[in-house]
Amino acid sequence: MLFFSFFKTLTNQTVTIELKNDIRIRGILKSVDQYLNIKLDDIEVLDLDKYPHLSSVKNMFIRGSVVRYVILPRSEVDVGLLEDATRREAANQAGKAR
Amino acid sequence: MERLSLNENPPNAPQQRQPQQQNTLGPASQPTSGPPQLPPQMFTTAAQLLDLTDKKLVLVLRDGRKLIGVLRSWDQFANLVLQDTVERIYAGKLYADVPRGIFLVRGENVLLLGEVDLDREDEIPTSVTKAPFEEVFELKKKEDSQRKAGDKKRHRELSALGFEPEHSGEILF
Amino acid sequence: MHLSIVHFEYSIGVDPRAWRFLPEAARPAELRSRSPKLLPPPPPNRPPTFAHLTFLPSAKGSMSFFGFDTNLPRDRQGGPAASRGFFENPDPFAEVARASALEDDDAIDFEDTYDGLGDQLDDDQDAFNDDTFGGGGGGTDTGPVGKDFDFFGKTATVADAIGEEQIRYSLQHPQAAPAAGQSAQPAAAPAATATTKRSGYEKYSDPGFIPDLQAKSSVWGISQKKPEPIPTQAQARKMMSLEEVEAQMRNQGYQSSPVPQSISQHMAEPSYMRHHQDITLPDGFPTIPPEVLRAQLERGGPPPGMPHPPPGMPELHAGPPPGIQGMPPHLMMQGNLPPQNLPQGPRHAGPPPNQRPQQIPPPTTRGPNGGLPVITDPQQLVHLTEEQRNAYLVEDAKRAKRNHKIFLLSRGNGLMTPQDKNFITRIQLQQLVAAAGNVADSDPEAVLAEDFYYQVYSQIRGAPRQHPHQPLGHFAQTYLLQTGNRVGGHGNRRAFQSADNHMQRMQQQVQRAVEAAKAKPKNKQLIIEGSLGKISFSNAKAPKPMLNIKRPDSSEGPRPKKLQSDLSLSDRKSILTNIERVYSALMSMEDMERTMPPPPEEGDAEAIQEHMEWRQKVHALNQKLWHSLKVMEPIVPNSTTPHPFIAFLSYPKGKKAIPRIFRHIDQEQRVTILTMIVVHLDSLDVVRLAQPVPGEAQFSVAMREAIDLFSLAVMPSLLGYVNEAPFNIIIGLLGLVIAQTHVQTVARTKVGLGILTMLLSRAEIVKEAGQASERDWQQWVEKFNVLFDTLEPALADIFPGSINSGDDMYVWQFLAAVGIGASPEQQQRLVIAVKDRVMETVAYSKTLPAEMSSQRLGNVNLFMRAIGLDVELLG
Repeated sequence: MLFFSFFKTLTNQTVTIELKNDIRIRGILKSVDQYLNIKLDDIEVLDLDKYPHLSSVKNMFIRGSVVRYVILPRSEVDVGLLEDATRREAANQAGKAR
Repeated sequence: MERLSLNENPPNAPQQRQPQQQNTLGPASQPTSGPPQLPPQMFTTAAQLLDLTDKKLVLVLRDGRKLIGVLRSWDQFANLVLQDTVERIYAGKLYADVPRGIFLVRGENVLLLGEVDLDREDEIPTSVTKAPFEEVFELKKKEDSQRKAGDKKRHRELSALGFEPEHSGEILF
Repeated sequence: MHLSIVHFEYSIGVDPRAWRFLPEAARPAELRSRSPKLLPPPPPNRPPTFAHLTFLPSAKGSMSFFGFDTNLPRDRQGGPAASRGFFENPDPFAEVARASALEDDDAIDFEDTYDGLGDQLDDDQDAFNDDTFGGGGGGTDTGPVGKDFDFFGKTATVADAIGEEQIRYSLQHPQAAPAAGQSAQPAAAPAATATTKRSGYEKYSDPGFIPDLQAKSSVWGISQKKPEPIPTQAQARKMMSLEEVEAQMRNQGYQSSPVPQSISQHMAEPSYMRHHQDITLPDGFPTIPPEVLRAQLERGGPPPGMPHPPPGMPELHAGPPPGIQGMPPHLMMQGNLPPQNLPQGPRHAGPPPNQRPQQIPPPTTRGPNGGLPVITDPQQLVHLTEEQRNAYLVEDAKRAKRNHKIFLLSRGNGLMTPQDKNFITRIQLQQLVAAAGNVADSDPEAVLAEDFYYQVYSQIRGAPRQHPHQPLGHFAQTYLLQTGNRVGGHGNRRAFQSADNHMQRMQQQVQRAVEAAKAKPKNKQLIIEGSLGKISFSNAKAPKPMLNIKRPDSSEGPRPKKLQSDLSLSDRKSILTNIERVYSALMSMEDMERTMPPPPEEGDAEAIQEHMEWRQKVHALNQKLWHSLKVMEPIVPNSTTPHPFIAFLSYPKGKKAIPRIFRHIDQEQRVTILTMIVVHLDSLDVVRLAQPVPGEAQFSVAMREAIDLFSLAVMPSLLGYVNEAPFNIIIGLLGLVIAQTHVQTVARTKVGLGILTMLLSRAEIVKEAGQASERDWQQWVEKFNVLFDTLEPALADIFPGSINSGDDMYVWQFLAAVGIGASPEQQQRLVIAVKDRVMETVAYSKTLPAEMSSQRLGNVNLFMRAIGLDVELLG
């Protein structure tokens, strides 16, 4: 649940999402769910010319499984805390595996 | 009578309950210093689809289909029901619309779901023009087979390097 | 019941009881019949925008209701207020909306809009109805009422005017409209633009949002049959729809008075299928040709963005008081939910405002009026420039177009009920609970780990919360349980019990699912025979791996280098492992801090025992931490590999750990760490690798970051100890610097000088405070002299780069610290050694802007004053 937990802190931040089919979408992250589906508001499709079907789209629900990258604002990531969270997650997983 | 229930605050109201003003002002009023503690139900598929319900959407499927229709129902897997659906096929600089009716889409085939801005939907980008279905369809078939060949090659090379295909061997559009 | 006709006018649409006076056609079609069909075609027509009639503020009570003013609005301008038509009061809700917007811009509150007149109705006094209405009660048959009370029929004849006025109003009052959601006008849409910044999740910020587990069976038209007209008084309490009541009234006159008691519970039944009904026009209706209705409908059609229940809903809650008998249980349930739990409740007769903007966007780049002046009055339009007017009209056309689209879309609205949505949300919450695994898990700390980042991040950056350490899963679980209690907590209502049971069942189900998941071996994939494909078990917690690199077999390809059997304590891997061990110990200790038992009271053996155990655990963790730090590893002289602890400090993670470590170790351990650092001062990465290179003004980015990090993370911890350290330790440390390190190397770096400054200044403070014994001081002076003599030849080289390369403050600080402690003779030598730099800086600062100049001079002066001089003296 680390990534879920992590993305939750990015709500209302502007992120850019690159999908596995190379579409890149910038928008305000409104919500994320446990499958890492992402809801973006006020979107802007980079390279829109290639994707005319998205020309009139304003908000978007993106299925988590098709996301390749999420580009985040660095200032909104607490690296130290994230490290700790990762350690906890790892410890947690190890504990469950046992 | 409905008000009556207002006074029936549960004796043990949820502890994590936020101040009532939250309800009225919404997250917008939250301090901008960082994310407030948001209620867990906000982070559900349901919450994400909630305000797309009964809206006109563009649905892009994993196989590249683009469906335009009104989202009528959904579930936690993002299985979707679309009404008055039109499939719009694109090829080259052309596109064509095919009326399709009601769609029930299995969630795993959904790539993305975009809410159509009703003000802008008729502003078709100048890069594409409408054409008869047959013409577009033929062109698309050609394009698809070309792309498939290219993707196949790419996947072969990537998998030699240890990359698992990003989408279980299927081609995403 | 004694009703005045005026009173009755006000309460239309607000007081449910007033409904019975409306002719059948005046009520929305959805109240009349239900269709079980899923998606039937749209209705051929629909009563004219029902919402117009919803409410009339009592202050305007004397306005004409039937005799609509057919004058054009501008002709009416300036006339006495009383002479305006009913609809001249632009939006009946506006006042209420404005008032409530102050505290609650969410929606109209039923209570605010309800004038309470309905409560004043005394059902026992119905005998007076005949007096009021000329009915034929009491055996005095005065003949049928006819169409006297066919208000809707009359209203419908002017439906066009109503629609026009509504639209015009909406255009004029774009700001007032959103709160007036109940007016349910698409024309109100532009107003919504004011709130477009809403996220759409506002509702969810109320943790109590999810109200009800009941799927609305009525949606599917199966729950209730349309009741038969009431033939006898005995049955009157059962079910009676408005149309039946009214038909009765019209056709038979007033024969009996059961009506008030049986006020159309039927209305309370929401019907989402209202658009798909075969409308049978009642007697009073045919005056309006269907196409008129249609046109009306399209203009004043369903509210924009209305996600689910349409205007049919409000009556649901405005329905009969709870005491009414024979009310269907599910309605009771519905009616008793807290209003905030009902997104489409009466407060949201229109779309909940947070949803509306989603549907009705403003023209994206422009404001609600496209940057045009706000039109509040049609006359204003006349005064606009041609250009503005055109723009305005374009906007207007756009809006109309959009509204039409919305209308077309809205025909199938409400297929998914709010209850459906809530149900799915609830399922997902349970999945979260299950994923966090805390249903059967007794260790809350394990659960905290599931959502650690979010929880703590929110605490750090967000608003404080009541229970910051409750993990999400716990929240979700608590939430689920408490909602169950809330719904089921009122034992006097049987209807709630099913929800309660349902909750319990769900809870048990989750528990079982978790147990099962734990017991089951984890397959990655499953192919069920006959299924369409593989079912992947990868999920957010165990995502499908994207890289699958096969290790080359031993026979072919180069084998990875065999690990050296004598693992050095300072190789990268073991250092990183040590760092991770340190962090793991730290986190455990931090968790221990949270779970510290309260200090035991005298004689409470159990508490004392508990406390002892806790302390033991903490001590064990401390030992683990200490061991992982490798501070106590023996120092190997002349070794090529750095000491493990120094290697630890060479990683950013290691540096960052120091402040946290210092919080959890005792003074002795602290001084050990400090000693370790001092002894190895010249082999610290931030000293060894930070030697200024001639010709290069700056270090690499990585080195600068390392130095900054050391200064920010490690130095304060060391300083914190040094500031309280006894003098003999300071003396000892200085001795170690001199004996064990290459002082000139140390002095050429920021970190090295920082530590020296730390020691020198502490000694000076001890001396000033008179805490130094004569013998100690002698010892110190001896060491100091050695240091001074060693450093003197290098003093000119301790500055970083040339004069204009920026930060040299730490050098001046160091020089000042030396200067204070120096003898007059040493001070002179000091001045000679750095004289050039002083003069250069003074000269250079004259070329700088005032602020920077004074800063640079201030740095120099720090040193100058330490030896009793001042830059001012230099001219």
